[in-house]
Amino acid sequence: MLLLLDILTTAAILFIVSIGLLAIFGVLKIINFAHGAWLTVGAYCAVVTAKLGLNPWLALPLAFVVGAVLGGLAEHFIIRPLYRRPLDAILATWGLGIVVGQLITLAFGRDVQLTPNLFAGTVAFGGVEYSAYRLVALGIALVIGTLFALTIERTRLGLSARAVIMNETLARSLGIDTGRVRLVVFMVGAGLAALAGVLLTPLTSVDPNMGVSWLIGAFMLVMVADASFLALAAACLVFGAAQVLISTFVSPILGSIAVAVLAALVLRVSPKGFSRA
Amino acid sequence: MLETIPAAERAAVAPRSRSRLSRAAPFVAAVLASLALWIAPAFLDTFAVNVLTRSMIYAVLAVTVDLLWGFAGILTFGQAAFFGVGAYAAAMILGAYGATPVGIAAALATAVAAPALLGLVVGWLSFYHRSTPLYASVISLVVPIVVTQLIYSGGEWTGSSSGLVGFDVLPFEIEGYFRLAALVLVAVTLAAWILVQSDAGRALVALKDNEARCAYLGLNPRRLQILLTTALAAVAGLAGFLFANASGVVAPENAGFLFGTELVIWVALGGRGTLLGPVIGTIAIDYLAANLSGDLPFLWQLLLGTAFVAIIILLPGGLADPVGRLWRALPVGRTGQAAPALAAREAGSATSTAEAPILKVQGLAKSYGSLTVLEGIDLEIRAGELVSLVGPNGAGKTTLMRCLSDGTEPFRGAIAIGGTPTTGLTPNRIVGLGVGRKFQVASVFESLSVADCLRLARASHDGLSPLSQAPTLGLPQAALDVLRMTGLDRLLTRPTRLLSHGQKQALELAMVVALEPRLILLDEPTAGLTKAERTTIGSVLKALTAGGRIAAVLVEHDLDFVREISSRIVVLHQGRLVLDGTVDEVVGSELVRTIYSGGAHA
Amino acid sequence: MLKHRLIGTVALMLAASTAQAADGKPIVIGVPIGLSGANSVVAPSVVQSAELAVEEINAKGGVLGRKLVLEVADDASGAAGAQKAFDGLIYQKKVDVLISMETSAARNAGLPAVTKGRVPYIYTSFYEGHSCNKNLFVDAWVPEQQVPPVVDAFKAKGAKTYFLIGSDYAFGRGMLGFAKGYVEKTGGKVVGEEYLPMDGSDWTAIISKLKEAKPDALITSTAGGAPNVTLTKQLRGAGVTLPFANLALDEGTAKSMGADAEGVYLSASYVTGIDSPENKTFLEAMKKKFGGELRTPNDLSVPEYEAIYLYKAAVEKAGGTETAKVLEALPTVSVTGPRGTIRMSKQHHAPLTMYLGQIQADGTVKVAGTFKDVDPGDQCPKLQ
Repeated sequence: MLLLLDILTTAAILFIVSIGLLAIFGVLKIINFAHGAWLTVGAYCAVVTAKLGLNPWLALPLAFVVGAVLGGLAEHFIIRPLYRRPLDAILATWGLGIVVGQLITLAFGRDVQLTPNLFAGTVAFGGVEYSAYRLVALGIALVIGTLFALTIERTRLGLSARAVIMNETLARSLGIDTGRVRLVVFMVGAGLAALAGVLLTPLTSVDPNMGVSWLIGAFMLVMVADASFLALAAACLVFGAAQVLISTFVSPILGSIAVAVLAALVLRVSPKGFSRA
Repeated sequence: MLETIPAAERAAVAPRSRSRLSRAAPFVAAVLASLALWIAPAFLDTFAVNVLTRSMIYAVLAVTVDLLWGFAGILTFGQAAFFGVGAYAAAMILGAYGATPVGIAAALATAVAAPALLGLVVGWLSFYHRSTPLYASVISLVVPIVVTQLIYSGGEWTGSSSGLVGFDVLPFEIEGYFRLAALVLVAVTLAAWILVQSDAGRALVALKDNEARCAYLGLNPRRLQILLTTALAAVAGLAGFLFANASGVVAPENAGFLFGTELVIWVALGGRGTLLGPVIGTIAIDYLAANLSGDLPFLWQLLLGTAFVAIIILLPGGLADPVGRLWRALPVGRTGQAAPALAAREAGSATSTAEAPILKVQGLAKSYGSLTVLEGIDLEIRAGELVSLVGPNGAGKTTLMRCLSDGTEPFRGAIAIGGTPTTGLTPNRIVGLGVGRKFQVASVFESLSVADCLRLARASHDGLSPLSQAPTLGLPQAALDVLRMTGLDRLLTRPTRLLSHGQKQALELAMVVALEPRLILLDEPTAGLTKAERTTIGSVLKALTAGGRIAAVLVEHDLDFVREISSRIVVLHQGRLVLDGTVDEVVGSELVRTIYSGGAHA
Repeated sequence: MLKHRLIGTVALMLAASTAQAADGKPIVIGVPIGLSGANSVVAPSVVQSAELAVEEINAKGGVLGRKLVLEVADDASGAAGAQKAFDGLIYQKKVDVLISMETSAARNAGLPAVTKGRVPYIYTSFYEGHSCNKNLFVDAWVPEQQVPPVVDAFKAKGAKTYFLIGSDYAFGRGMLGFAKGYVEKTGGKVVGEEYLPMDGSDWTAIISKLKEAKPDALITSTAGGAPNVTLTKQLRGAGVTLPFANLALDEGTAKSMGADAEGVYLSASYVTGIDSPENKTFLEAMKKKFGGELRTPNDLSVPEYEAIYLYKAAVEKAGGTETAKVLEALPTVSVTGPRGTIRMSKQHHAPLTMYLGQIQADGTVKVAGTFKDVDPGDQCPKLQ
């Protein structure tokens, strides 16, 4: 039971962390290596909320807005010139991540920041005492996933985004403003990443480098998922399970590199990753 | 029509003496640089000598990153891992056996061999048929992460997070290490310079430009990339050996992903694809960092990050770009590439007997999911035939061509070239069976010259020198004819990207013909060409097949053109082969008329 | 020897009596430290205590009439940065001594330069032990001094089974390796020992293993800063309420963890609550000098303060800054500082008084036990 809960909640957290990266990669075909920086920005929004004495849950909308605005600026000035140079975009966003990290350091200092708990305590679940927040995170992942799916399936933005994914030239000829779609998608992606940053605060330390440790895992999951949202969910479940199982039965050290190594091997065998299934 | 070429450019062949001079120039520069660096420690303080020693070792790594990324187009973060493996191998062996002659030899050998072996594995993992550049970058990210983790878990062996210290090192003073690092840097840079200037170096650029074209010229892109990865992993290991000795300490961060990104940043700022840019960039930035980062650690990172983003967006060529432009604006800097002399080459003796078909297709079928694109195709083509493949859009013509030239396409049925089944064979191996393919959109190497493109087309026959540029370019007569008829023979030094659409088509045809194929596949070779160009290509094809040794298959929409040149016409419709006969039979048939008027779609 | 001391005394008297103390050129103290990277959280407090020591000494006339000057350089908390920092300090700034708190990786990376450059190096950070070099002295604790108070206290509370969790690096493995040995030597049992990579942030599987093992007590030794916070948050989230000691926790980090750190045990050679006149004077002087900028003095910053006084004493005894003589004097001199009387007399390491502390709800540390003059054991048998 404990194992099952560990797997499910781990997958949920991986999903929350990587969904923003997936949105951007899916539509823009750009690997956003500043993803870690957006996570950090989100977590610092939680710090600011706490300093202002507001309700900690208010950090969620704040982070989404701040992330989206900063994302919009980044798209306009940094990403836009690089659509035709995807490998350069990786580098430019990595550089952006460095810059954002240093700016946060200059503003808040290097110290680990104190954030209030969003949801403390444990609940009895299926015979074990389990961390309440992890169960909440599982619920949040489902909510984010559902909202994301609804946005893609039911809204104009989702339709436009899907059109751009399938055939950008055609989409443009149909009168879709693809530049605008890219901008909005990048903003949503960065906003989701910042949101994830807030949701991570009860689990991790908040410091200027916190995002980097999540970046590689999220990146590998998105590679495996290609551009598919359901494939991402599947990848999070499979690799989350692998991580928990290897950590539990073999070694946590191997478990921590399991996602990266397994994802690389999966891609070697099946370059389209999970999206083909 | 062909463009008119200024007379001056036609006579662009440089005088011999000039070219000999420019060939000696890198060696002279290398000797001068070595001398300057040899005496440099006398004028520098101990601090500068120490820091620059390390910077020069890093610069060796920058050269390898530049070869991979700037020239071959493989963005890698993995050189740090190979460097780290080399450094740890050296430190561990020197620690165990001491700096005895045997110990040093063993440390050096392992420091080169272990990364090379790892490079081979990484290369195999990164490069396979249909692998993407992004995937190679992904792997290059994972490798340093795994290597660092292994170092952390290595306990006493690797010193875990503390690294290794206190092992024996080569018996040099710090000036000695400075000179050793300088000599290695000059030697590696010179070797890299010679390589990229040579014909084999063009193959690296060709890989970056157009990997598919490389494969369809019979080059094995995978083998080249794996070879390059392995060799440069060995060089990185050598740098690691130097580093371990010069600094007396190795640590996990020397192998880490962050160091890998730092290398890329240095190369990008210096100017990728210029060799000297990354070398100077690395030394300058690392030296600056040693002087500045101690006093303003955060600001320094901020400045470096900002500069990096700005350079990537605004000046992808790095700081070497404006410098290079300035240099070329000077009279001394304007040395054009010398055009090689064209020579006719005896056609190969590969004779095909008229009885055995060159191409035999049996029951070929292909579908994407539930959509059937080809079904029940049977086809035999013999030497001397010029077969046109016609049919409306979506009939499966291009798919058929793809199946013929790439055995890894999932299809059912059997295809044999000269009796050899092609199922599972990659394009380059099918080229080896004697198949040449010309694509619908001219597929040439945009950043190379006309002569380089042709040289690469001959590489599978004649090989490529990794040391120099061959002074002559031997081509089969038919390829020479194509060049003459289209005037490309006077444009040998012209960069391909400056050619007109028609000239590119002609160049690609010449490249395919230069392969001396038994079977030429052409996908709409006349699309978008002028009448005159079309006639030229038509007569080239007729001449080629008239010899009775070569067959050609051509996808074509222009029925007039087809009628003019074909010996046989095959009609595809909705994935099926509906007609196969002589020109008169097919052109006169009722079926063809209905298909083209759209009547048969019902 | 006597002559030297005489000259020293004369110089001191001169310095005290005349306004311009500097008749010689200043003595330069190099402080290579992690201003960026993992140590950057604690580094400012270390620099502050070094600044106070130098100011106090200069105000009283310096050392042998020479002023002290600090040269701080960032080592980025790692090997590559440390090499640059040590090179810069030794060869460019020509420092007379290095006195600094650093990561083990940075310390190791700097040692070859220290040997080549022939300068004394006082290392002021607690560490996993057994770093030996004739130029290196250590005035902070090693596992032999820090672990026994914790295990003994848990044993007294009736703990028999222990679970160990650490970061996979030299300090984490070194501390827990020693702890395991000590637990088993004293009749306890280790029922689990788990490590996560230094940059790892997901402790889920390890916490589940901990819960299933049901030990009596938990001892952790993670990398400072982020992993400390991450593990504690996740342990609390999972409802773990065992007796819990953190071998890598300092007061400053404990404060930033808020309620999550409440009840955690730590073992240190310095806590702000030490009740001695030296500590009170020190804390007041710090508050006066830095005011609102003050970083909480801690187990990493106080040894730096004392090490500068130890160096002063050694130079005065040696009659100058000549390395060989200073190295000879260093193990013989002692100072009485906030932590008590410190003398690096045991194989270049120092016997220390250790304190067992427990974190309170407001982040302060309550002293739960004092252990006088704990011996560092055999750290460097080849150095006497």
